[in-house]
Amino acid sequence: MRGLLAGILAFGMYFLVQAVVFHSVQVSRRALVLAGLWLGGLPVYVWFYTWLPDDRSVWPAPLVAPSDVTTLFSGGLLYFFLFMGYAQFFYMAESSVGVRTMIELASEPEKGLTLEELTKRYHYDWMLDRRLRRLVHAGYLIEEMGYYRTTARGRLAAAVLKWCKRLLRLGPGG
Amino acid sequence: MLKGLILACAGFALFLIIHVPLFRLQLSEFRFRTMVRLALVLGVLLLTVHRATPSDLWVLPSAYTRAGWAIDLLNGLMVFTFLFVGYSMFYFLIDRGFSGRIMIEIEASPLRRLRPDEIAARYSLEMVLQRRLNELLGIGRITAINGRYCNTSKGRWSAVMFAFVKKFLQLGEGG
Repeated sequence: MRGLLAGILAFGMYFLVQAVVFHSVQVSRRALVLAGLWLGGLPVYVWFYTWLPDDRSVWPAPLVAPSDVTTLFSGGLLYFFLFMGYAQFFYMAESSVGVRTMIELASEPEKGLTLEELTKRYHYDWMLDRRLRRLVHAGYLIEEMGYYRTTARGRLAAAVLKWCKRLLRLGPGG
Repeated sequence: MLKGLILACAGFALFLIIHVPLFRLQLSEFRFRTMVRLALVLGVLLLTVHRATPSDLWVLPSAYTRAGWAIDLLNGLMVFTFLFVGYSMFYFLIDRGFSGRIMIEIEASPLRRLRPDEIAARYSLEMVLQRRLNELLGIGRITAINGRYCNTSKGRWSAVMFAFVKKFLQLGEGG
């Protein structure tokens, strides 16, 4: 339990800190801040692990794990997985078109919206431009005289995605 | 603790292997539901195998078998769950990722380069929104009556929750 509890406590601390940071500062490099804060939380995880008592002095036998490398690793893995799960939620809130659609529909709870009315509420240029800028910044695309083309990394990512789509029969997607 | 980790990784590997032919055979739109059901079945299998096998799995050194059965099982189930959640992220990236679609469209173009308006022409806003609306209809977040879309109670709750998160974390209007 020591490793798992340390992982949960460290993630709880991370969650609070990132919430305070994003609430008080307008962050532009969100991925960097999210990942940076998580990395900064690793020593906090180790501190929680050393601070918590040995399982044998607290928990009944079925819940006792020896204080060894495997337990330390398991707690660290939990801290990592909780972060990944939260990152998924964060980006769903930040970028998901589906989420934005539900929020737009919530503004007209009684009569709802048609596809045409919904389309007028979006700025497609802005949506597209935001994604293109991110892809350029992440090194997947290059902009040349108004045209966008893939870098070697972008070509690899496109090929992997296309292969996975074909393997799982997912259609063009997007 | 090692037994739980090994069984979790083996269970997830089994999930990866089984879901491919399932997806290739399935014509239904509800693929994610299939993924969740498969993971649940394998989770129960993991639990059963964990209880039915010795703590050393016949091969592990005794140094790795000193953890209590409950904590080992809990750890294994958590690792299995989070591996599934992680893979779901990847799945949604492949299936719905807008940025991935942009790169694929650029690669598929004759000169392997596109202007934003050319990308928009190949994948219009109407197409993006219609796909999302169909997905939201499929998972019961919205209803469609005479061409008008409305949130269901589930959809209203999601909208309120995400609107709060967006506002609190200053994430902008997004989408």
